Amino acid sequence: MTLFHFGNCLSLAYFPYFIAYKCSGLSEYNAFWRCVQAGATYLFVQLCKVSEPFGPHKDVSNEFMKATVDLADLLGLHLVMSRNAGKGEYKIMVAAMGWATAELIMSRCIPLWVGARGIEFDWKYIQMSFDSNISLVHYIAMAAVVWMFTRYDLPKSFRLPVTILLGLCVYKGFLMELFVHVFLLGSWMALLVKAVLTGAISLCSLFLFVTLVHSN
Amino acid sequence: MFEEASEVLENMLKWSLPLSLVLFLVLVCPLRAEAAHEFSVYRMQQYDLQGQTYGSRNAILNTEARTMEAEVLSRRCVMMRLADFSYEKYQKALQQSAGAVVIILPQNMSTMPQDIVQQFMELETELLATETIVPVYFALEDEELLSIYTQTQISSSSQGSSSAAEVLLHTATANGFQMVTSGAQSKAVSDWAITSLEGRLTGAGGEDLPTIVLVAHYDSFGVAPWLSYGADSNGSGVAILLELARLFSRLYSYKRTHAGYNLLFFLSGGGKFNYQGTKRWLEDNLDHTDSSLLQDNVAFVLCLDTLGNSDNLHLHVSKPPKEGNPQHVLLKELETVAAHQHPDLKFSMVHKKINLADDTLAWEHERFGIRRLPAFTLSHLESHRSPARHSIMDMRSVSSSLEGAGEATAGPHVDLPKLSRNTKVIAETLARVIYNLTEKGVSGDLQIFTEQMQVQEDQLESLVDWLTAQPRAAQLVDKDSSIVNTLEYYLNRYLKDVKRHLVRADKRDPEFVFYDQLKQTMNAYRVKPAIFDLLLAFCIASYLGVLYLAIQNFGLLYSFLRRVTAPRVKQH
Repeated sequence: MTLFHFGNCLSLAYFPYFIAYKCSGLSEYNAFWRCVQAGATYLFVQLCKVSEPFGPHKDVSNEFMKATVDLADLLGLHLVMSRNAGKGEYKIMVAAMGWATAELIMSRCIPLWVGARGIEFDWKYIQMSFDSNISLVHYIAMAAVVWMFTRYDLPKSFRLPVTILLGLCVYKGFLMELFVHVFLLGSWMALLVKAVLTGAISLCSLFLFVTLVHSN
Repeated sequence: MFEEASEVLENMLKWSLPLSLVLFLVLVCPLRAEAAHEFSVYRMQQYDLQGQTYGSRNAILNTEARTMEAEVLSRRCVMMRLADFSYEKYQKALQQSAGAVVIILPQNMSTMPQDIVQQFMELETELLATETIVPVYFALEDEELLSIYTQTQISSSSQGSSSAAEVLLHTATANGFQMVTSGAQSKAVSDWAITSLEGRLTGAGGEDLPTIVLVAHYDSFGVAPWLSYGADSNGSGVAILLELARLFSRLYSYKRTHAGYNLLFFLSGGGKFNYQGTKRWLEDNLDHTDSSLLQDNVAFVLCLDTLGNSDNLHLHVSKPPKEGNPQHVLLKELETVAAHQHPDLKFSMVHKKINLADDTLAWEHERFGIRRLPAFTLSHLESHRSPARHSIMDMRSVSSSLEGAGEATAGPHVDLPKLSRNTKVIAETLARVIYNLTEKGVSGDLQIFTEQMQVQEDQLESLVDWLTAQPRAAQLVDKDSSIVNTLEYYLNRYLKDVKRHLVRADKRDPEFVFYDQLKQTMNAYRVKPAIFDLLLAFCIASYLGVLYLAIQNFGLLYSFLRRVTAPRVKQH
């Protein structure tokens, strides 16, 4: 039944993407190819990040530096969005979907294929699939924040919250590791905390987005 | 034209991308799962002796684990701990056609109480007596194995019970284990050579001197070959023989003490398999050679078997020696030495006729007796059927310095002072025989092996330690093994004409057949029952349903937020 388990994990990981793609109306705009382009940009950015080696020691400052490199993610998202003409929502969704799908394929499919198919059962594959769902929301929020950051008509009062949210998005991974280390969270608890954190960030960014779009 | 080309290219890329991805995944990833726990398991003996098959026939395993509390045992791997092991449980498992049996032994046997060790030793012979197709494994316990066992026990005992809800909860939380062994099915080892070693000390003065033969078999036996260390049986015999070789070679190196007897030392292999080494050696020396020490003038043959413990000493004979024979002299000298020099030692002679109708011979001297050579076996055991001769519990005990001398180790083991005392008794006796001391009127109290010539206890200790450092089952010691090489080296230091002697089973009618796959690696994989996957699929489907609804109604959240923000804008 292990192939079944692999199927379970894959559907848990992938179906939300599919649902989001269908329901956000992207399919009407023939956005598939553009999403693939966004995915290709993701790959390119990851390659650039990999070619920046850091010291071998795993300590706090190194992790911080590594997280700073994730700023390249923001640049990548911005690049994708600027090349797509259309409404703000369309741009955000396309960029986020493509980016998140690429991440899903690159970083989760292979571990699932190798691990979930085996005889040995481990909860971590289900957790990995949940994590990909959380990533989707995270990337949508991140794309939205990047888009807002680069708007020329962003009111002064929004600058600060948007910058803070941007910082949170980039350093979220770092913060999560810190939490787990300090509070010695179990794997399920860590997942829960991650979900809550992402939920908070995305709610804030949604709030700001709505305000921005409908204040004109 | 370029536009068409670019369109075609675009379409091609569009379709090749997912295909190449799938291909990449399929090619790159061989299935290599990591197990929850990997450990060595030692299989029960499997051999044929004189056409009769013994032991466990099978070696491969890929089944779920259960403990004895479970109701359904068929085609499952039954795990038992030594402390809970009993023959009835074993029989029950076999009757229900279990897939395999794994018996978990504690790392340190000395922690087991005496009665459990005794019971297990008696069971060893019974286990081997019934030939079975179920593979039986022994594993040494460690923390992870113990936790696997406890988890399996909990899930096994709760199987019979409970309502549907409990079963559901149970499937979600509990862990099952799948035990898989690496390695192939066991098959007969072809052309296995059992090695024996001989060496001699030639007597002084002329031809036709009488010969005394000293024999000890160096292999060990137990229910699992890789776990048979054979400390007392027969590591003690080998240690004594080597120490005697050292002492007498020293005596023979001085002209004044060079006696008029030839001393022939023989370390036989395959002793636990009906003395195969000795049998072939005798055939070669008596049937196939023109002249050999064994043919001419043999005073007697003394076999040493299990002499590492206890205050008893028995001389086993198949025919009580008659007056005036060298054998009788030996008997008398043994009595003298025991009475005068070691009053705590209880010496006696045990007479047992050779019974050729038995499956196997009792003691090693019976091989010589069949060829009409006068022979005895010296042992502290009274009966050849004693389980101490065939047990994996026979180990070099943890040194008595650790827990204080009061702690007795449960199983058979070597007690060094007693081993040393027995060595001295035998040495003194042999000296009295070869120098004819009683006839010359030397008192029974005179000790020859003292001061520089004394029996060296450290030497004995290091020999026994070395012998018990690795298993010495006959199936594991081939002619290139380090044990044989080291024994040969040792004999070469003190004796002359050290020769190897090989025994190979006859092709058409083999006296013994050994099988391989005696040590394997077992992997325990954590598995969930099939119903768990269905349950999980159901949960995921409902989760996805909820998600779908949420996303469909995302617009509600959006308009809610709009309404929340709108009045704020108006207030500017």
